[in-house]
Amino acid sequence: MSKIFYDHLIIIEEIDFIIRNAAESSEEKEELWKLVDEIIHHRILERILNRLPEKRHKEFLERFHLAPHDESHILYLQEKTGEDIEKIIKKEVNELEKELLSLVKAPSR
Amino acid sequence: MSKKLPKKTKFEKILLNIDSDVLRQKLKLKHLEVKDTLTKKYPQVDVFFKEKGIDPGQIREHSAKLLGAGAIASALLLASPNQDMLKLLPSPQEVLHNLKLSNEKDGTRTLLVSTIKSFLPERPRPLVRSEEKFLEHIFINTTGIPVKASLEGEHLNTTYGYIGAEQHLRRFPGDSLKEHGEGQVLKSGIARGRGAWGYFAQSREQLTEDLIQKEKWYAVVQTLYLPDWNRRAQYLREWYKYRKVLIVNTENGKSVVAAIADSGPAAWTGKQFGGSPEVMEELGGAKYKKGPVMVFFVDDPENKIPLGPVDYSNVKMVNVLEN
Repeated sequence: MSKIFYDHLIIIEEIDFIIRNAAESSEEKEELWKLVDEIIHHRILERILNRLPEKRHKEFLERFHLAPHDESHILYLQEKTGEDIEKIIKKEVNELEKELLSLVKAPSR
Repeated sequence: MSKKLPKKTKFEKILLNIDSDVLRQKLKLKHLEVKDTLTKKYPQVDVFFKEKGIDPGQIREHSAKLLGAGAIASALLLASPNQDMLKLLPSPQEVLHNLKLSNEKDGTRTLLVSTIKSFLPERPRPLVRSEEKFLEHIFINTTGIPVKASLEGEHLNTTYGYIGAEQHLRRFPGDSLKEHGEGQVLKSGIARGRGAWGYFAQSREQLTEDLIQKEKWYAVVQTLYLPDWNRRAQYLREWYKYRKVLIVNTENGKSVVAAIADSGPAAWTGKQFGGSPEVMEELGGAKYKKGPVMVFFVDDPENKIPLGPVDYSNVKMVNVLEN
């Protein structure tokens, strides 16, 4: 089983459609999926830390590292930031999908 | 007379022409950009994860290892909201007794749906062992198919999740969409690349009826996220190749026996399984693109269980629980 606590908030479909149609083998498809996966992780982590008070950063990283799947991190983040973290993550993912789409559609240099 | 294939939209035409090398290059650049932003803003993140021996981008592999090793399996079990519910539910024997009493048309399927709906959480999540055992008994008795969540020590990435519509797979070099049936199932198109196990046959002449059925009724599961996939890839590839699974639509009880023929979907699509155009049509009708399902291995060492839809009216209750 493989899971990150915010997986259920992320739905990116058009990039998946593009990858499926570009990749010529299963290995290639998985490599491209993994790149997108890592892009998402870095972006979400950055946005979470932007909102979390600095004194809580180490505490959150420890929690995340110990149980990356644990959805209770969302409650923790909501409590410590005072913001609707699910809404924020969903919004960030939508923005990121737009960025990826415009990047992919842009002519290559 | 040649068959008329569905027209592609303008958007699809543009996207279908994207080269994989160009796409890889662009994604790598974006990857560098977001990683750089994180590192510059929060250098302590890089230090923290380096001390722990992992790359922050590879947190999914880290999660898979933790969960796979069972290090926090007990925590998952305790966190499961269904532990109390399990105690309140009727026993599998009671459920099966009710199923046997049902004489109405599609009664078994209707009762199956109401049972699993009262039991399962609304939002799909990985099930714990006790939940899977309960469902195994229910499925064996309602479908007559011997199913197991764990078979020969192997377990899927998850047994409860969302299934999404897949395209046809190329069965041999030169295979084309128009050779995959007619009507609605052609609208899904055909994937550019091959399935996880390559072509089903090396030529049209080598394509047997068995292989035609495997492509027609194929399933996609997330082998790429198995905790030991990288370490045991060779063995696991052989083990999963065309392995039979029972897919049950938890909304309507419709079920299909399918053969695993591809890997995916990506975790960030909000789906955990995929189904061929025929599988999807059988599970939810012509326009069914996504929905919650359960997927269990079929224990069929003698290859006696045919691929395709499950007919509940032909099932005789097997009383495995009462023995």
